[in-house]
Amino acid sequence: MCSACGFPAAPGHWTEAGATTPHDRLRARFRRAQVLRSVLPAYGLTAHDGADVPGIQLGTLSGANAIVRDLEEVWREAERLTGQAIDPLDPRFIGDAD
Amino acid sequence: MDVRLPPGKFDNRDDAGGPVAGAADNRMRLTLLGGFLGSGKTTWLRHHLHHGLFADAFVVVNEAAETSVDDALLSQSAELAVVSGGCACCEARDELVALLRSICDKRVSAESARPDRIVIETSGLADPAPIVAAIRSDPVLAHHIVISGIVVAVDAVYGLDQLRQEPLSRRQMELADLLVVTKLDEADEAALTRLLATLKAINPGAAISGAVKGSDVALPDHSGAEPEELDALGEAAGGLPIRALKLDIGEDIDWTAFSVWLSALIHARGDDILRVKGVVTAPSGRLLLQSVRKIVQSPEILPADAAGDDNSLVFIGRGFRAEQLDRSLRHFAGLRG
Repeated sequence: MCSACGFPAAPGHWTEAGATTPHDRLRARFRRAQVLRSVLPAYGLTAHDGADVPGIQLGTLSGANAIVRDLEEVWREAERLTGQAIDPLDPRFIGDAD
Repeated sequence: MDVRLPPGKFDNRDDAGGPVAGAADNRMRLTLLGGFLGSGKTTWLRHHLHHGLFADAFVVVNEAAETSVDDALLSQSAELAVVSGGCACCEARDELVALLRSICDKRVSAESARPDRIVIETSGLADPAPIVAAIRSDPVLAHHIVISGIVVAVDAVYGLDQLRQEPLSRRQMELADLLVVTKLDEADEAALTRLLATLKAINPGAAISGAVKGSDVALPDHSGAEPEELDALGEAAGGLPIRALKLDIGEDIDWTAFSVWLSALIHARGDDILRVKGVVTAPSGRLLLQSVRKIVQSPEILPADAAGDDNSLVFIGRGFRAEQLDRSLRHFAGLRG
């Protein structure tokens, strides 16, 4: 367990397997935040990962927020905050109505 | 022995039964062996214990019935344990997890032999997906075990009927990495080629091999055979049919954007996306990616020099089209339009 953030040690999330060096990890973390910032506003959510707090910060426009540690938790928490799953096949992402 | 195994999945196997060579980490490799009732699982496994493919493996046999028979047939194995009186995917899941944990404990103690490989022969009524989920979600097992493949035995004679009528049997075949068509000598050629074409259509990502009494036998040519159009069954009846499609990721999409997208897709649509598999290149190397419903395995890093169809993934499920996946992925990666 990390005494700073309190998250128990767990096997890394599968999405983090793409980076093994500290440099790649940091770059992947910022890229992940960039992608989240571009897709979550469609559901009225904000995302922030500035390396100042361990984890990804999610927020709603009404001020509710949560700190999560990996993408699996991002989607779970986003569903809880908005009441619906963030669906990549939603027309707002694929631009059609079927 | 010449067992045709799916590319990338069993690359670290050592037929002599020695330690797993060249593995990306030192976790135990677990092979899940499934297949419908009477499909020939035990016969296939017994042959491969005898011939050394799984000679060093710890074999776990699951029987739905209270009385176990298969353990007597598998006395060739290095070590054997039986989980009986329920399916490992439902009633006996806790018992299976406890047993696997005890194998992990044994492995870290210096007093006993340390298995590198585990084979679980499931009961004919088990769905592989909840077993994979139970192993992946247990914090101890996730550290010690990596699931290296799902092998499903398919009866050459009754396989097509089971595909038509039994939702569970169809699910087992859809989730396989390797489909072993058993009892090849008992099926007539026309029915067999139709079965093979249908298997290829429902699970194009799986390797298919043939067997008679466990030994490998060449499959007949089925390139011209028409697959059977299968109706939806069970929960899916009245819904959409399950389809398999290929998604080419392309060079311009990076691993991070792809993994954000896939994790969201699996969270939202995991009940409809039964299987995703393929090799994706990332800064850390070539990653072998595979999911069973909502569970994604920790990707394994494959050797850089091995030839393969990189950045092309197979999706098996219902309710989506290839162009929708492509458009959505490009949106996530910031490549709209």
